[in-house]
Amino acid sequence: MPCEMQQRRWEHRYCNMWKSLVAAVALAAAIGSTHAASAVNKDAETRTLIVTEGGSKSDLALAAGETVEFCPNGCFVTLPNGDLEALTGSETVEISGGVARIK
Amino acid sequence: MPLPLVSRQQIMLFRLLRLILILALVVSAPPSFDAMAQALGQGAAGLITDQQKVIQGLTAKTDDLEKKIQQDGEDDAALVDIRLQLEDLSRAALTSALAFRSRLTDINNRIEVLGPPPAAGQPQEPDIVTGERQALASEKAEINAVVASAQNLSIRISGLVDKIGNMRSALFRNLLTKRYVLSDALSPEVFSDAHDEYANLYKAVSSWLIFAFKFKFKAILAATFVALGLALVLLVGGRRLFGRVFEADPTVEQPSYLSRLSVAFWSTLLPSLAVSVFLASTVFLFNYYNVLRGDIGVFLNALAAVIAVVFGVNRLTNAALEPRLPNWRLIPVETGPARWLVRLTTAMAVVIGVNYFLSIVNDKMGSPLSLTIARSFGATIIFGVILILMAMLRPFRARDGSWRPWPAWLRYMALALGLFTIAAALLGYIGLAIFVSVQVLVTGTILITSYIGFLSARAIGEEGAFADTSVGRWLSANSSYDDAALDQLGLAVSVAINLMIVLVFLPLILLMWGFQPGDIEAWAYRLATGITVGSVTISVTGILSGIIVFIIGYFLTRWFQGWLDGSVMARGKVDTGVRNSIRLAVGYSGVALAALVGISAAGIDLSNLALVAGALSLGIGFGLQNVVSNFVSGLILLAERPFKVGDWIVAGDVSGTVKKISVRATEIETFQRQSVILPNSNLINNAVGNWTHRNKLGRVDIKVGVAYGSDVKKVHAILTEIARGHPMVLKNPEPFVLFSNFGAAALEFEIRVFLADVMNGNIAQNDIRFAVLEKFNGEHIEIPSMPRAVVEVRKPEAWPTDDDKIEADFVEQEQAKVEAAAEAKKLAKTGRKARKPDPD
Repeated sequence: MPCEMQQRRWEHRYCNMWKSLVAAVALAAAIGSTHAASAVNKDAETRTLIVTEGGSKSDLALAAGETVEFCPNGCFVTLPNGDLEALTGSETVEISGGVARIK
Repeated sequence: MPLPLVSRQQIMLFRLLRLILILALVVSAPPSFDAMAQALGQGAAGLITDQQKVIQGLTAKTDDLEKKIQQDGEDDAALVDIRLQLEDLSRAALTSALAFRSRLTDINNRIEVLGPPPAAGQPQEPDIVTGERQALASEKAEINAVVASAQNLSIRISGLVDKIGNMRSALFRNLLTKRYVLSDALSPEVFSDAHDEYANLYKAVSSWLIFAFKFKFKAILAATFVALGLALVLLVGGRRLFGRVFEADPTVEQPSYLSRLSVAFWSTLLPSLAVSVFLASTVFLFNYYNVLRGDIGVFLNALAAVIAVVFGVNRLTNAALEPRLPNWRLIPVETGPARWLVRLTTAMAVVIGVNYFLSIVNDKMGSPLSLTIARSFGATIIFGVILILMAMLRPFRARDGSWRPWPAWLRYMALALGLFTIAAALLGYIGLAIFVSVQVLVTGTILITSYIGFLSARAIGEEGAFADTSVGRWLSANSSYDDAALDQLGLAVSVAINLMIVLVFLPLILLMWGFQPGDIEAWAYRLATGITVGSVTISVTGILSGIIVFIIGYFLTRWFQGWLDGSVMARGKVDTGVRNSIRLAVGYSGVALAALVGISAAGIDLSNLALVAGALSLGIGFGLQNVVSNFVSGLILLAERPFKVGDWIVAGDVSGTVKKISVRATEIETFQRQSVILPNSNLINNAVGNWTHRNKLGRVDIKVGVAYGSDVKKVHAILTEIARGHPMVLKNPEPFVLFSNFGAAALEFEIRVFLADVMNGNIAQNDIRFAVLEKFNGEHIEIPSMPRAVVEVRKPEAWPTDDDKIEADFVEQEQAKVEAAAEAKKLAKTGRKARKPDPD
């Protein structure tokens, strides 16, 4: 039913409000869709990941309990156990007990 | 030989396309990688060899591309193409490495289950366990080797991309600084070259035409008609849809800026779109029917692009300058100069377009360098002259009628640019001249468009302007926004437009000036995901999403409130006081919830907030004591409901009706229409009288004194009779007449009557007092009074002598009476109801 045909005034008003709400949700969805990979260190000591991104290798040191966002467009990561993994840029690397897991 | 002059223009267009692509990418979700899903179904051993092959293939392609970089090192467009291919390869390498993830996870899990190998002193483990561990370790090593090769490939590709970037900037520098020897290019030989080329072109086109008419005549006719039909549908449909805003109405004296803008916009967009659709569909259909042959397709493409651009530029300048209708002009220049400006701009577009088309022809025909140089030379010289002519125009008229030039900075800048182009061309720096002229044209167009955008933003932001737009009219008709709200909305819209212009046009200009899209993308990304200051990360998207979540929560709360109040509780016949309380409570809790969710959505850690709140609470305890106590009192008022909106309450000196109960204070309107804001703690801590708490029943006392010597029994009877006889007085509780006192001057009585609605107290009192006085007069009962002031009565005036004056006065009085009667009638007509007097 179009908003103009609503009987009561408040219904009429909230009907229009719904439209703006839908627009806002669409906007939020559009904004919320950019992500990067994130790494969480749940250990009590600093852990290091080696990140290869854009042609250069760099060490990513994670302090105890720290969460870091990195690698927005895909990269290679050397995990603490020596494994080499590729990331697309939407994963979460969780380090606990010296072992990294990709979720 | 392909000349950089040609490719530079193509790259301009190409860059624009790239930007649009990037914008689309930013909006859409990141691409998903299907390789993982595919990999799950494959066997472990097959997986490694498969991916090894994939990576070998990618490496081979990369080798090819590296060779191509060396070969095509002079061609900018080819380099860009190679870069895009390399980026694809890099993504493919990443995807192939991704295929190992699930297998690697399985291996790691298995190794964890098997545990570490036994140390020296410990008992031996079974051989099968050792064997499996070794097998797993070797498989893992193989996988790591493959992933490492993918990583190396991606590093190599990154290096190549960097190299391409360097080569391109070197090419660009070379283009700008390369000097051609004009005396060679502009020799008479050029004319014979040009003639040869023209002959070649003529031959190609005419042979194609003969072929087309002989074998493909029907196809050509069909294609042309279909394309024409499409364009007509678009044009006619557009006219029907936007007809009202499409054409400038010459009868309108002073159209608003916004209507001028919308006319300009639609009258540019629709015809340009129609022409573009016609050209594009013609080319497409010609391709589809295989009408095109050899290089003709390329020529036709270029020709279509040039026609579309020239037509669009002409429409745009016509719409913005409206040489025929001064009222509808967007940029306030005079009529004559407006006509000249349209001509000059169109000429500029034609020059650049023809140059572009000829460059394509030269390229395809493999014409000599001298011809290319001569063509570019001519085009840049003409362009410079047109620019200078534009700068010399005097487009404005002063009050005294004399012509005024452009503002000095604009005039001198255009002059300098025109002279620079001509000078560069004359000195042989053709590449530089072409570059500058294209830059001037494109940047100028972008700047003028954004300037018009700014003007429209300003027009919307003006007071009352937004309410006049169609959106504003729609809003005011369909929602409860009043003028002030619409005005603020207009302001917000104008700010948003300004922001949008900066967001859209700034990257465009940066792009035109040679910044790489990657740079802009990286900046946008950094701005969106967060700037880290110390340990705090401020991210625009975070804050925006927090605000949006809060707004959504707020509207949801309001909607829920309205729904609860308007349909559930109204139909459930809930008492208004309860309704009000529930509505307020729902509102406060909803907004609080929305704020909390919004804060966490903005990425602000709530535990940090708790820390701050803990530190502040001491301060709050001292400083905000009153506010907090009022707030708590407000909550108690909502729960306990000693009074509701509309009640007549007496709190201390204040007596009036309750208008609004909010968290900190309650608004009371006295009967003199004074709003009193009473802090809620006052209403909780002190006694509050409420006349209309459970019901509106109330007692009214009327004192009557009679003279000593009156018949008190008779007085009592009369008073009782009067009290009982009044229609507003309740029968139960019965009215009661109290003989209250032997007063100093009178025997005092008190009529006590109960009314169903104490708000009617004054009416009842008045009626009863009038009745008492009347009855006492009839029964000759005296009401004693204190000594009264003696009023001297004036003697009547003598018989008037001036008849004319009396008559005039009389007429005046009569007229005043008539006017007063008319006024009263008008008031009655407006439907103003006679209002009940206030009870106090």
